[in-house]
Amino acid sequence: MANENKEVLLSVQHLEVSFYNNKKRFRAVKNACFDIYKGETFALVGESGSGKTTIGRSIIRLNPTSDGDILYKGKKINGKISKEEQRDLVRNIQMIFQDPAASLNERATIDYCISEGLYNFHLYKDEADREAKVDRALESVGLLPEHKSRYPHEFSGGQRQRVGIARAMIMEPEFIIADEPISALDVSIRAQVLNLMNKFKEERGLTYMFIAHDLSVVRYFSDRIAVIHKGRIVEIAPTDILFRFPLHPYTHSLLQAVPIPDPKVEKSKELVIYDESKRDLSGEKPVLQEIRPGHFVFANDREMKEYEAKLQEWEKAGK
Amino acid sequence: MTADNRFEFVKMDETASEHIAAPRYSYWRSVFRKFFSSKVVILMLVIALAITLFSFIQPLFSKFDPTVAQDILDRSKRFLPPSLEYPFGTDHVGTNMFDAVWASCGNSLSIALIATAITTVLGVIVGAFWGFSKKLDKIMIEVYNVVANIPFTLVVMVLMYVIGRGKWQLIFALSCTSWLSTAYFIRVQVMIIRDREYNLASKCLGTKTSTIISHNIMPYLISIIVTSIARDIPNFISYEVFLSFIGVGLDYREPSLGRMVQDYVGYMQTPSAAHLFWIPVCLCALISISLYIVGQALADASDPRTHMI
Repeated sequence: MANENKEVLLSVQHLEVSFYNNKKRFRAVKNACFDIYKGETFALVGESGSGKTTIGRSIIRLNPTSDGDILYKGKKINGKISKEEQRDLVRNIQMIFQDPAASLNERATIDYCISEGLYNFHLYKDEADREAKVDRALESVGLLPEHKSRYPHEFSGGQRQRVGIARAMIMEPEFIIADEPISALDVSIRAQVLNLMNKFKEERGLTYMFIAHDLSVVRYFSDRIAVIHKGRIVEIAPTDILFRFPLHPYTHSLLQAVPIPDPKVEKSKELVIYDESKRDLSGEKPVLQEIRPGHFVFANDREMKEYEAKLQEWEKAGK
Repeated sequence: MTADNRFEFVKMDETASEHIAAPRYSYWRSVFRKFFSSKVVILMLVIALAITLFSFIQPLFSKFDPTVAQDILDRSKRFLPPSLEYPFGTDHVGTNMFDAVWASCGNSLSIALIATAITTVLGVIVGAFWGFSKKLDKIMIEVYNVVANIPFTLVVMVLMYVIGRGKWQLIFALSCTSWLSTAYFIRVQVMIIRDREYNLASKCLGTKTSTIISHNIMPYLISIIVTSIARDIPNFISYEVFLSFIGVGLDYREPSLGRMVQDYVGYMQTPSAAHLFWIPVCLCALISISLYIVGQALADASDPRTHMI
């Protein structure tokens, strides 16, 4: 695959994140491994509660990790790091949040919301320079400079999300974690926000980690997809491969859940509900294995043979 | 003439949909507009301001001193009913009640105001960090559990016996016993908004904890702090009256509403001198009620949720 000669920007290795409730341990993320290459859009897909947001938040250091490493450009960024490294990280990795209403400070003007990062690192020469930067950031997301003195509650959902994007972009990051950036938005403005994100990607060569539960959006937006189920990554593949050859039964049921705008197809569609208890889990413990270059699936040796047979059948049929 | 040249293309203005037509919102202007929208509140504000100003200005002219009773030997000046010369009458030693009441009121008010200021500043600062730091919480919650379960009166009484009676001692005792509950109150509010997403966003942008507290948390707490102040001032006035009444507050050298109530409680049933008791009681009630209503109205007005109609 072409991925091999690409530069790895972020590498997550055997990541574990646990939450404790009265000493009772809950493993939200189990042994997650994946690489994100520079310049790509990597999507993390799964149902709610599967741990996808937790992975995103541990990369940006909001959640402490309990095991494993997160490497950014080869440097470990989880656990204890120095103040200097933390500063570099904040400038290089930014996040776009899910709920634009909740992620903006309601008591601060848009001017402050957007300049917050500039203030923290003093990324401006003087007051005029800061204002010019804020104006440019607002214009780049299609808002007007006159909005600076307004408060977040005066904006529509799509406008607020664009403020959220401007706030992240003004830091000039290399890597952006977008935590379901469009799921709280009206359908009519989803495309607008996605196109805006794509525009920034092209202009600045950004790398995205796109957390979502909506596969139809992910198909349009991302280069590679990781499917996560109950804290475990079950399949990683380039987008077209994943949609053509979904190997893991969970991936299969996720893809099935995407509605097709054709009543005839929808009527005859047989929904596969993924139920782990009904699966044949015999044999040794499954691990994430590479079945084709760039296509990983969570399986043991017995399952690998089944998947291999399935793949060859599909490939023969020229699907 | 065809239909085509009767129409012309109009350029679409992409930014038109981005304009906000609503008038510019200003937090403090909205607070004032909301606050002054009620006539009852304006009346109460006038009463509270009038009483406060008068009780601080009048004693400057009267130079009232409770230890001096220059008319004690003049029998004709005892128990005079209210008149032009003595608007509130005189008592058993010929004290001009008008001077005594305002000096007492000023003293009681200043105790309440100073104690409230100390309690609020200390409580808010400690409460903000207490709510934010899990390590501090572990210690503070134990301290709070112990201190909050000792009756307040007991602590004040012991303190007053140890450090002596007097105005500053009373302020110290009152502040000592109440800042912790204000801090606890603020801690709970901070914990509620601490983990909201916009604070996580600030963290992602590298904002320091102290800046998060001052820029993200405190603006949300304005109405809560104002509520706390509105509750504290009348409370402290009542505490002072109560403590002076049961004899652990101020001593005889300091005029105070509590001491007046205690001194004249015996005349409550005497028709000719009942006003000696009722005037300080009514004044105490009036100032508590007016301050409370003004405070509550300010607390309501400072909550932006009330600004939208």
